[in-house]
Amino acid sequence: MKRRNSILAKMISFLFAIVFAMALHPRAIAEDVSAATALEAALEKDPDNLRLGSEYRQLIIRTSQYDRALKFFEKLVQEHDNAASAHLNYAFAYVDKIPIAGSITQVLLANSALAQFSRSLELGPSWIGYYSRGNSYLYWPKIFGRTPLGIDDLKEAMRLQRGESKKAYYVRTYIALGDGYWKMDELNKAKAIWNEGLSLFPGNPALKARLSTQGDELKAVMDDAYDITKRIDTSLQELWADQGTQGR
Amino acid sequence: MRLHFIAVLLAAGLGLAWAPNDPAAGRWFEDITQSAGVAHKHTNRTFKNPYSHIMSGYTALGAAACVADFDGDGFEDIFVTDSKEDGKNRLYRNNGDLTFTDVAQSAGVADGNDAENASADCLWFDFNNNGRPDLLIIRFGYSQLFENLGNGKFQEVAEKAGLLHYMNAISAIAFDYDRDKDLDLFLGAYFQPVNIFHPETPRFFPESFETANNGGGVMAFRNNGDGTFTNVTKEIGLEQSGWVLDLGHTDANNDGWDDLYVACDFGTDRFFVNNGDGTFSDITEKALGGFDTKKGMNAEWGDYDNDGFFDVFVTNITDDYMREGNFLWHNNGNLTFTDVARETGTYDTGWGWGGKFFDYDNDGWLDLYVVNGWVSAGKENYVPDIFEMIMRPNVDLADLRNWPPMEDKSLSGYQKKKLFHNEGRHSFKEEAGRHALDSQRDGRGIAVADFDNDGRLDLFVTNANAAPFLYHNSLPTGAHWAEFLLEGTVSNRMAVGAQVRIIANGETRLSFVNGGNGFAAQSTPRIHFGLGKITTVDRVEVRWPSGGRQIFENLAADKIYKLREGDQTTSILAVKLRKP
Repeated sequence: MKRRNSILAKMISFLFAIVFAMALHPRAIAEDVSAATALEAALEKDPDNLRLGSEYRQLIIRTSQYDRALKFFEKLVQEHDNAASAHLNYAFAYVDKIPIAGSITQVLLANSALAQFSRSLELGPSWIGYYSRGNSYLYWPKIFGRTPLGIDDLKEAMRLQRGESKKAYYVRTYIALGDGYWKMDELNKAKAIWNEGLSLFPGNPALKARLSTQGDELKAVMDDAYDITKRIDTSLQELWADQGTQGR
Repeated sequence: MRLHFIAVLLAAGLGLAWAPNDPAAGRWFEDITQSAGVAHKHTNRTFKNPYSHIMSGYTALGAAACVADFDGDGFEDIFVTDSKEDGKNRLYRNNGDLTFTDVAQSAGVADGNDAENASADCLWFDFNNNGRPDLLIIRFGYSQLFENLGNGKFQEVAEKAGLLHYMNAISAIAFDYDRDKDLDLFLGAYFQPVNIFHPETPRFFPESFETANNGGGVMAFRNNGDGTFTNVTKEIGLEQSGWVLDLGHTDANNDGWDDLYVACDFGTDRFFVNNGDGTFSDITEKALGGFDTKKGMNAEWGDYDNDGFFDVFVTNITDDYMREGNFLWHNNGNLTFTDVARETGTYDTGWGWGGKFFDYDNDGWLDLYVVNGWVSAGKENYVPDIFEMIMRPNVDLADLRNWPPMEDKSLSGYQKKKLFHNEGRHSFKEEAGRHALDSQRDGRGIAVADFDNDGRLDLFVTNANAAPFLYHNSLPTGAHWAEFLLEGTVSNRMAVGAQVRIIANGETRLSFVNGGNGFAAQSTPRIHFGLGKITTVDRVEVRWPSGGRQIFENLAADKIYKLREGDQTTSILAVKLRKP
């Protein structure tokens, strides 16, 4: 009963923040700032709320207040170090800034994101944690030796999802794990995992693109997929779509 | 040696069918470096100080070339720098038959390197307006200015000219920014003016990878018209402290005044508009839409889309570990530019250095050749070492002791050069492999010139720590062309900054006399137009640097014309052939 009340309270605070933000957005920058302030207040009360943090980050992206978000999450995890989702949101906040950063800053941001993903996983293993960290490792050039770490994380994400009912976003693991194998020049393994994914998620365009090309064409597909200058969708909308309005 | 004076009638096979994109046409460039006698290898400078093991990784520079007809025989000659302590610079006199003779020693321009100075770039410019190109060798140290005496000899006059300034200059161009009839000098410096041979401090490396402001900056020297120069950098509004690697001038807004693009390593490129009153304004933010954080290494202007405005191509670093991408700034005609490198396919040239526009197939569209590669050494990769430093918290990058030694490791090495064929307006197709221009040496500069006066543009490519390449253009005859060598009378004698518009078959093409644009190499001062099937240029409009305009009509294709300011007669370039 106590846990149910806690969830209810968090949902109310989340909905309040969203309604408040939607009511104000996007008439003016001042209103965006107010909305961000309201979402920050809500997150301070509910730091482990992944969805609330995600909504906050999307607002930050729309208003280009990246440093504000980083500063906020830095403080949030200092105050709530055991909030695994706060660390996830902090990691995504670093990822969100990457497309607008210089090439070296991109590396620093990516590295900081990895640290936060890792801290989140230390606190509580999760599919989203393993998938996100594993996928992040794949953006690093092969020379850094991080691709095998990415493969390990994605295998763990795969293990977790295989134990659960099928969800639409699980296709991402098939794509990314195959990509990891491709980066390691293990094309047969890559194709096997992509094919397995396609059998479970027929018609998936990303898998079809990978399986219908080879050589330089496939490399072009991969280069495009891991182009660090393109914004990665960190809205986690697929999680909420699958979990309904109660997703956290 | 006997000199024969002949008029040039060069192109054969007029009227042949022209199929520039025929795959069967094969390779159009031939490596003639050895047979031409220009194969002397460049060697990087090594340092003898406590930081030499670190500095060696960041000083693979100084392989430069500049082109001009220094002896007035109608054939373009090449000056080439070396950088090692006892390395001799070369003055390759063109014998007129695609062979060259090194006359640097007898001319008195060979000694450009010693324990305290390292050659970094060179520039031909007629500083005293006497019709003979003089030679500037800029160095890490004190630069040299050699006055061309006209008898095959040169005399060092840097001190007399007021150019004896200690700097670590890496780029030089000359143009008449104030339109007072003489060529002013603009230098770009990489390091601050510290003595890098015997540094008193280890803190002279870039303070940031993206916004470094502790470099050597730009220096501007106004030509006083009496053989001397005055440093006017601050008073004309060009003072900055970036890690300058290249300077490029042109009249970007066609107002008659040349503007300036400054390409900087470790941070922000700058665009300065000429105010027309002897000063410049930094309008980077408005012109380029903000400040970049990339590693600018080349500033080359050309009207690649034939819209009547000059665009600028800037190389940056594009590799697995750093996806900056080049800039191809399309000139919007209103002093703003839009980067179209991705859209045009010119985005990725690896660790880019020199890039030059030139119409190699004479189809009327500017193509683009880009050289690349930083250090090609052992199999081990330096990338993890450098990123380990970058990710260290609060690392002081300005202190070179924090930088890892490169040793025998490679960094963006063994990269293939790129030749982009202009497919029309906004699309390029990569063709380096087809024409055997895809060497993997560490390229630095590209000098474009028509060394055999046949209307087909050849390439001289410098490589760091390696021999250069001389690529002879052997494009099948059939596509027509016209070249123009301009001489100012009211304007500066070399006519640097002059714009030439040709109208042929209803189409307009624009070019200009450039004063040394492009990293580590100065191309020909002649203006070249590819004409395709067109055999007559209906109209040639020259806008001289003085502001004066002249029109010439109905000029036959396939000739090298000499145009003299104020003189309505045209003449064909006379050449003096040397025979044993």
